Amino acid sequence: MSDSAAGEDAPLIEVRDLERIYHQGEVEVRALRGINLKVERGEFTALAGPSGSGKTTLLNMIGCLDDPSSGEVRIEGERVSGMSRTQAAEYRLGHIGFVFQAYNLIPVLTAWENAEFVLLMQGVSREERHAILDPLFERVGLAEYKDRKPHEMSGGQQQRVAVVRALGSRPRIVLADEPTANLDSATSASLLDLMLELNRERGVTFVFSTHDEMVIERARRVIRLDSGRVVADERDEGA
Amino acid sequence: MWKIAWRNLWRNRTRTVIIASAIAFSYGLMLISMGVSADSYARMEEKAREATGGSVLVHGAGWWEGQGSDVVVADPEPVMTRAEAMPEVEAVMPRVIINGLLSSARGNEAVRLSGVVLEREQALADLREDLVAGEFFSEELDSPVVISEGLAQRLSVEVGDKVVLTASRVDGEVTRALFYVSGLLTSGMAGEADLQAYAPLKLAQEAVGMGDALTQVGVLVSAVEAQNEVIAALQKVEGAQALEVLSWQQAVPEMSGLLEFDAAVNGIYFVVIFLIVLFAIANTFLMAVMERVREYGLLSALGVGPGQVGRLVIWEAFYLALVGMLAGLVLGLTGHLTIASVGIDMAAMGAGDMEMAGIAMNDLVVRSHLEPGRWLLASAMVLAVVMISAVYPAVRAMRLAPSQAMRFYE
Ligand SMILES: Nc1ncnc2c1ncn2[C@@H]1O[C@H](COP(=O)(O)OP(=O)(O)O)[C@@H](O)[C@H]1O
Ligand SMILES: [Mg+2]
Repeated sequence: MSDSAAGEDAPLIEVRDLERIYHQGEVEVRALRGINLKVERGEFTALAGPSGSGKTTLLNMIGCLDDPSSGEVRIEGERVSGMSRTQAAEYRLGHIGFVFQAYNLIPVLTAWENAEFVLLMQGVSREERHAILDPLFERVGLAEYKDRKPHEMSGGQQQRVAVVRALGSRPRIVLADEPTANLDSATSASLLDLMLELNRERGVTFVFSTHDEMVIERARRVIRLDSGRVVADERDEGA
Repeated sequence: MWKIAWRNLWRNRTRTVIIASAIAFSYGLMLISMGVSADSYARMEEKAREATGGSVLVHGAGWWEGQGSDVVVADPEPVMTRAEAMPEVEAVMPRVIINGLLSSARGNEAVRLSGVVLEREQALADLREDLVAGEFFSEELDSPVVISEGLAQRLSVEVGDKVVLTASRVDGEVTRALFYVSGLLTSGMAGEADLQAYAPLKLAQEAVGMGDALTQVGVLVSAVEAQNEVIAALQKVEGAQALEVLSWQQAVPEMSGLLEFDAAVNGIYFVVIFLIVLFAIANTFLMAVMERVREYGLLSALGVGPGQVGRLVIWEAFYLALVGMLAGLVLGLTGHLTIASVGIDMAAMGAGDMEMAGIAMNDLVVRSHLEPGRWLLASAMVLAVVMISAVYPAVRAMRLAPSQAMRFYE
């Protein structure tokens, strides 16, 4: 199958026979053992599973942060596995937004500078950066916090800045690895609601991992992983 | 990006301040020591040149071996005329040097009598400055001689007293000549300088039956660079085959050898300091990089390429060098200007009556002298050392895999 045949009709994310084996000295850790899945545009998908089930590894593959041992990841029909590190960095810059579990922000930069960082690298003008980010800061309720350094903000506020940064870069996909793991349940709920609303309002595709059932309930699609395999794939419109 | 590098620099203030001060101190001290050593070399060379008798010395061939009165510049005329015609030449000093014995009623002492034309010696050194009694070549005395205080003491003579010089003539016969002490020179000088005595050129020539011949023609050249040109020109003068035309460095190789050795030691010292600074900075940067593994991973995830991550570390090093060198410049220039205006009295530093290869280095007041070229070179070297020390940490930062970097919190 050629890449050119893919284009618009291809699923946004397509994972095929994905395996990832870590070598830790003599020991082989098979973190992913043949994953197949598709994610369509606009989906709000949770990767659920116990710790060590391979969620982070899978997100790393989708986000071009790491290469699979075998199998491939296609985004919009384009094969993204096996790029050089520089190419991968460029691809991430243009296509993927990230929200990590913690330490999402560059400590020496203010909230605003963190948020505009990716846009600056994309070469977006100052006016445009304001046009994109001002409403987002407003939307997540951090308009007053733009000049704060990360250590002057709460964990939930930091995560929201990370969400602003991820969305501000106008990515195809936002990948979030356990974005609520370090937050209390109330803050988790509000962060998740925020993500869900942004997903509805803007049609941004979210894929996030979690092992928190409260969070899983809010997802519209839940892919369950265990020991590097997909054990369930449920669509639940009840959330 | 530079913003991150700049702010990163100030995250661990203590560390940054320590490293920046290390840079500042080594750079500042380097400037000061460069200035001082440049100046002290210039002064030592000046002294050495003075003691030797000029930048370029013309003798009868083989004079330096025995320094006998029989080896002469038989016809100094062509050499002197040629030298005087050259624009680089500041002074031409005809001399007769007699190694002999000076006697009084009290006893005998070895002496090295120089017959000089006082006015011509002026350009090299003002001999009258060292006079402690009497005068240089009193008109009232028939055969005036100026000797050192020490010599006068050992001979128990005073200004106006008689002394007799015993020396060998050009033809090998031993001869005696009567002189009257016209003045005394300070005996602050140690060693060989104490042997020194001066008489008018004509008298010295007569004393050993030299006629118009000379022992030495000292030539003072305005710039060191012109020295070789002058030597080449003088070697082509007619009758030069019988002569020896040497630079002062060639004439007293021990002296210039010592100066060169000293410069080499200085060079090694700088290399060692540089190496220490290099490792200190490299190590600190490596620590900083390893502490920030997660951040570099984050940057990478956000789309910062490996090359740019490396550049980030390099930029930080550049800022560090900038801060350190600015402080070092202030330090160095303050030191330089202070020493340049006040000077360091080497005698007061316990180096008084210092002697190098038999040449007295007394009353040496060293000031500081900085050449822009060497200053630029030193600055470039310090900057290069800092930047080089950041290369390995930068490469390590580049090699961090983003996925590994992000796992650190687990
Ligand atoms: N860099 C690594 N080296 C070796 N093993 C690893 C590495 N990263 C993850 N693993 C292993 O791979 C498996 C999946 O890990 P991970 O994807 O982090 O799971 P999750 O995010 O679901 O907790 C685990 O057994 C983990 O120990
Ligand atoms: Mg994980």
